[in-house]
Amino acid sequence: MVRKLYFLLALLAMPAFSAPLKIGYSDYPGWVAWQVAIDKGWLKEAGLDTEFQWFDYSPSMDAFGAGKIDADLVTNGDALVMAGGGSKSLMVMLTDYSDGNDMIVGRPGIKSIKDLKGKKIGVEIGLVEHLLLLDGLKKAGMSEADVTLVNTKTNDTPQVLASGEVAAIGAWQPISGMAMRALPGSKPIHTSADQPGLIYDVLVVSPESFKARRADWQKLIGVWDRVVHYIDDPKTQDDAVKIMSARVGLTPEAYKPLLKATHLIDLAEGRKLFVKADGFGSLYGSSEIANEFNFKNAVYKDKLDVGSFIDPSLMLAK
Amino acid sequence: MISRRTLTFLSFLLPLLAWCAVSYVPALWHPQMLIEDPGSVDYFQTGMRVALATFDDELAQAKAESRAEPTGWPANPIYLPAPDEVVRAFYSAFTTKPETRDGVWLHQSLWHSIQVIFWGFTISSIFGVPLGILCGTSRLVAGLSEPFIEFFRYLPAPAFGALAVAILGIYDGPKIAIIVIGTFFQQVLIIANTTRKLDFALVEAAQTLGTRGFRLLTRVVIPGILPDLYRDQRILLGWAWTYLIVAELIGTTTGITWFITQQARYQHFPNVFAAIFIIGIIGVGTDQVLAMLGRRLFPWDRVTERTA
Repeated sequence: MVRKLYFLLALLAMPAFSAPLKIGYSDYPGWVAWQVAIDKGWLKEAGLDTEFQWFDYSPSMDAFGAGKIDADLVTNGDALVMAGGGSKSLMVMLTDYSDGNDMIVGRPGIKSIKDLKGKKIGVEIGLVEHLLLLDGLKKAGMSEADVTLVNTKTNDTPQVLASGEVAAIGAWQPISGMAMRALPGSKPIHTSADQPGLIYDVLVVSPESFKARRADWQKLIGVWDRVVHYIDDPKTQDDAVKIMSARVGLTPEAYKPLLKATHLIDLAEGRKLFVKADGFGSLYGSSEIANEFNFKNAVYKDKLDVGSFIDPSLMLAK
Repeated sequence: MISRRTLTFLSFLLPLLAWCAVSYVPALWHPQMLIEDPGSVDYFQTGMRVALATFDDELAQAKAESRAEPTGWPANPIYLPAPDEVVRAFYSAFTTKPETRDGVWLHQSLWHSIQVIFWGFTISSIFGVPLGILCGTSRLVAGLSEPFIEFFRYLPAPAFGALAVAILGIYDGPKIAIIVIGTFFQQVLIIANTTRKLDFALVEAAQTLGTRGFRLLTRVVIPGILPDLYRDQRILLGWAWTYLIVAELIGTTTGITWFITQQARYQHFPNVFAAIFIIGIIGVGTDQVLAMLGRRLFPWDRVTERTA
């Protein structure tokens, strides 16, 4: 009888091992890049059974938090926000860092961060553009006390900037681009290109799946290396951009600038970024800064142990 | 006396004419200039929209300094495409082949949405209709359930999204659940109300003739309210559609919502409007079919004839 039960349990457990890896992705160039691997059939080629599921960004985090997908693509700061909310997760690889896609856009006449002294700025408080603004203020020798923040949904920033209520807004592409088109003469005064590594994008995996399917995740990282080289190689870039732009419904020409402001990270570069260090040149350092920022903005009560949410073993494996 | 058909035609024609006028008569609105040639203005780009005043300033300045002059046409904001743009978007949306390997045709996304609505509405009805009728006929059932339902119907269905995903997964389950939550509570109250409106003389007559309990329900109450119940269901089906867009954003983004949000994100508003109209057409279409069916099913119901 007991043996029969075991047998049944084993049967029940089996699908868990052969089920496809479910990965959530959403509309950001560093994540849409996976579409190249999907369309080219590279995942199957690598012996992987994966299901990439298209989400809006926040619902993808809901699904990951609820344990309904094995992995999700998010920024390192948001990975910590999820972790602070109790969803155990591991950052196991980097897809890219924002290299200009995130920006603070000033009204015509605002030429640098210094011009913002005593003015109002529309940002979504606690989100990544807020962090970017703080970085800009610090570099200009100022602090948050020198400006007034107006909490604005990132989606609404183009209208808010055009209305004249604020001197600058913070947004990412394509919203920041819309803001500049809506108010001719406005331009970026501080972007993520001024501080590479402020915003890393990562693949987070649930610890259960990571343990059970380690070999598969290792293979996935190999596929990613291939994707990055295919996109970065001038000979194959056009084909890659065609696949990616088709995924989001843009023309290839319109998509290129977005891709250009995204610095994709291959395996060799990723290895260096997965080394423990302070500052933006390391995923650990960058996440620690995001941790501090989240803590200050009362996203969570106690600071997190950043190291426990990063697992470098796949990246550093030979 | 204007016939009803003419009125129907006019009710569509008038808004359409207003839209055409705003789109094609520059004097009416057109607060922006669509740049054709940026001339010597450094921040202008071909295809950019700028405020009329800005354009005039730059033009005057270019003229004064005898630099190359920018040119352009008056235009409406990008959020209000012209009818012909929407019609073309409508056509091309259906005829464009999905470009990615896992992509779907627009009609496939639509079919997906229709299935989500169908299941959401069916599940809601399976529970909502009987409960509504019971509430309308039994003081006990009404007293026990209506206060809570009154409370619950004010809770915004989309707020249950994350919970629905946690319980039902990422595919159609949570979407259907949102539509059920959005429809069910209204359904019970509306149908209970309809049931209460049944002519009491009918019930009294049946009771005098000795009909009691369950038979009273199946032989008198239900046949008595059926035409009204049918009309309620038609209205509630429209209700279910209004929850579709929020429902489909929960879990994986699918169906017509995928098309709408993706096109809106990149400001392809002709496509967005086309998709909105598709939903409208499907809605009105189903409703008309159901109304016709209703006239066949309940030929004795004169109210149906008048309103549908």
